[in-house]
Amino acid sequence: MATLKQPSVLPGFGLTFGFTTFFLTTIVLIPLAALVLMTASITWHDFVKVVFSARALGSYRLSFGASFLAASINLVFGFVIAWTLVRYEFPGRKAIDALIDMPFALPTAVSGIALTTVFAENGWIGQYLQPLGIKVAYTWIGVTVALTLIGMPFAVRSVQPALLEVQRDLEDAAETLGASRFYVFRRIILPTVLPALLTGFTLAFARAVGEYGSVIFIAGNLPLKTEITPLLIVIRLEEFDYKGAAALGFVMLVISFAFLLTINLLQAWGRKRLISRVR
Amino acid sequence: MSITLDQVTKRYQGSPVVNDVSLDIGDGEFFVLLGPSGSGKSTLLRAIAGLSGVDHGRISLHGRDVTHLSAKERGVGLVFQNYALFRHMTVADNIEFALRVRRMRAADRRQRRQELLRLVALEGMDERMPGQLSGGQQQRVAVARALAHKPEVLLLDEPFGALDAKIREELRRTIRQVQRELKISTVLVTHDQEEAFALADRIGVMNLGRLLEVGKPQELYASPATRFVATFLGAANLILARQTKDGIRFGKTPVSAPAPGPLHGAREHEVVAVVRPEEVEIAATREDLTSNYLTRGTVEELVFTGALERMRIRIDDGPDAPPLSNINSGGPALLEVTRTQHEQRAFEIETGQDVTIGVRRIHILPTPLSSFTTCATSESLAEALVQQPLLAELASRMKTRVSTRVEPKLGMPNAACETPSVFSGTTVIAAHTEVAYQAQWLLQRGAEEILVLPQNAGPPQRVLIHWADESVRRATLAVSASILRHVSAEAIYIGILPTQTPAAQRPHGMRALLDARSEAQAVHGLEMRTELRFGDVSNELARQLAELPGQMLILGIRGNKDLAERFGSLFADAHWPVLIVHREHEGPSA
Repeated sequence: MATLKQPSVLPGFGLTFGFTTFFLTTIVLIPLAALVLMTASITWHDFVKVVFSARALGSYRLSFGASFLAASINLVFGFVIAWTLVRYEFPGRKAIDALIDMPFALPTAVSGIALTTVFAENGWIGQYLQPLGIKVAYTWIGVTVALTLIGMPFAVRSVQPALLEVQRDLEDAAETLGASRFYVFRRIILPTVLPALLTGFTLAFARAVGEYGSVIFIAGNLPLKTEITPLLIVIRLEEFDYKGAAALGFVMLVISFAFLLTINLLQAWGRKRLISRVR
Repeated sequence: MSITLDQVTKRYQGSPVVNDVSLDIGDGEFFVLLGPSGSGKSTLLRAIAGLSGVDHGRISLHGRDVTHLSAKERGVGLVFQNYALFRHMTVADNIEFALRVRRMRAADRRQRRQELLRLVALEGMDERMPGQLSGGQQQRVAVARALAHKPEVLLLDEPFGALDAKIREELRRTIRQVQRELKISTVLVTHDQEEAFALADRIGVMNLGRLLEVGKPQELYASPATRFVATFLGAANLILARQTKDGIRFGKTPVSAPAPGPLHGAREHEVVAVVRPEEVEIAATREDLTSNYLTRGTVEELVFTGALERMRIRIDDGPDAPPLSNINSGGPALLEVTRTQHEQRAFEIETGQDVTIGVRRIHILPTPLSSFTTCATSESLAEALVQQPLLAELASRMKTRVSTRVEPKLGMPNAACETPSVFSGTTVIAAHTEVAYQAQWLLQRGAEEILVLPQNAGPPQRVLIHWADESVRRATLAVSASILRHVSAEAIYIGILPTQTPAAQRPHGMRALLDARSEAQAVHGLEMRTELRFGDVSNELARQLAELPGQMLILGIRGNKDLAERFGSLFADAHWPVLIVHREHEGPSA
């Protein structure tokens, strides 16, 4: 215990550590353990049948694929939005800054309905995309759009503070040393905000994988094509197939955990390179 | 010349942050730009580096005009206060940054890097990350990085600001060595005068965006031309003295000090004397003094600081007491004194002791503006004028005092002055419709500078300068330069020719304009724009003044008979301040 003790502004390490453990256990660990236990109660044969069924495999591909795509889109555009908000002064900046958090506040079902209305074949945007042969609503594209929307705040809010840290002086220094703007971006700005970018990506991805409400309206929910895993789990539950649902949930848990762990390790490795004793 | 600045001006939201700065920096020179925060020195440095553009003027590096080149193309070396090292790169990568950008071969890069690390005494630190280095080491890396591409000019922006005293001194020595070894022209920006003294070949002092004075450290310290430099570069007591035809006097006490220039006319007038704290001598009696007797006083405060003893001495009141300039009416007159151990041993004193004060060396500032005296028909009106924003601002920036004077018959023809004493410094009166007659009244009774203040006028953004007679050009320019050192405004000289001037005469008018400009620059370091107008002087000036808010006029005139007739229209319901500079006798020609 003594080695863990650190002087801190909050008193009582024992108390806070105990609370942390208790809280994590009740809220996170016990429910997850229940999921694993429930899964363990079905036979190996049944487990494989449920988990590797064509329908399940299709849903994994859509869920993780669309989430990855959405998080990637957010990575790029989240950075651009954060850059604009941090670096420029323009009328309405505060309003746009507040707008970023809207997807947090809206019930996800509302965003789903709104997106469907807009992107349906006769919707505001959908009617123009239709002649071009692009169908958004009720396809995997629609799923990606919905996941992008709900993940966007995570990407922007993670990068913003990191960009504030990139001092103008660094860019000025690089410029006097003869670097072009692109060079400065690639060699100075990007490496500095990379950890934050990865965090934003991870959060957006994690959120997208678990998303249910906004997707089911725009997805169309065709088995094998536009059915996401969370929906498949809900369907299993409605059929009172608790064990099947648990098995699918277990698979999501494993994949997500593996993915998040990888990114966290990547970040830790990157941070070690940047480690600073000063400050 | 390696760096040449020609009338560089940079505005921020309309007001100038760097105001008409011209400067030549020689090859291999170590130049220090010294000034308080907000004086525009860092902005000027960034303009030289090309990181911010200028609104007016030209910048050349080694004869090449770089005004419109980007920082990347100028390729100067720049060192920042917070090091600005790339924290995700090793020391080696940081130093090689400029070389990598220039696609230098790896072997050459390594060799150059070794050279630089040796230069800043950091051999073997190549693979460290900046975060693993101390602040002093980081700044050394930053210096090495800035020098990697062999820039012709090295710029340092408060490079020691974030370091503690000991490391500061060490790094200062390193930078001086590196600079001498490479013979690279260097500009360092700082607010620390000790740093400036330690490093500079020449110092340029900036305040309110203007470059006030440039000179060798010893020269600037011994004989500053402006009160800002006198008080910013080391401590200084400013004392109001009188210049008479017999020499300088403090109160009634004559002292030996070189006069700043010949007296204009036969009259005596007020001047500002600089007395450094270490030039004050303390003794028990007048007979013990080895230097000029000044006055008597009481030791108010005594602080021992190791090598030196600092004290503040309250000067005894009395009709003969020399007025300290930097006091406001009512505050105590405290003289700052420092003494060495040697002096302390010779005459030990304690708080509360009465002592005799002498001065060893006195420097008289060449500034024509000494103090202000508000003048009105009643005490309450005179007091009200003291509170006017422009006057209060000027007095506080000039660290001078404002006194009051009551003249119940102000402006009444043929009435004599109530107060027997002569007019000293600038006389201030309130603007109203009859003010031209009051000004004329004051001029006829000996006032030389009169400031006419409208209600609630603040510090001006533009100062218009005009003289009605060539013989007062020199005096008007001197007063303008003095005012403009204390307000952040642009100066515009308005030359006015009568409308019916024949075309053949016009080039002559232009010449006079250009002469005025170069005299302002050469003699007073004052940069001003010039404009030529045609028409009636008074109307033309009034029209110009009414055009924009926030303007002020400095008007030079000769003779005091016809001010009201010639310039009356300038003062009638004017909402701009006017400073009248009056000289009766022909000044010495420039």
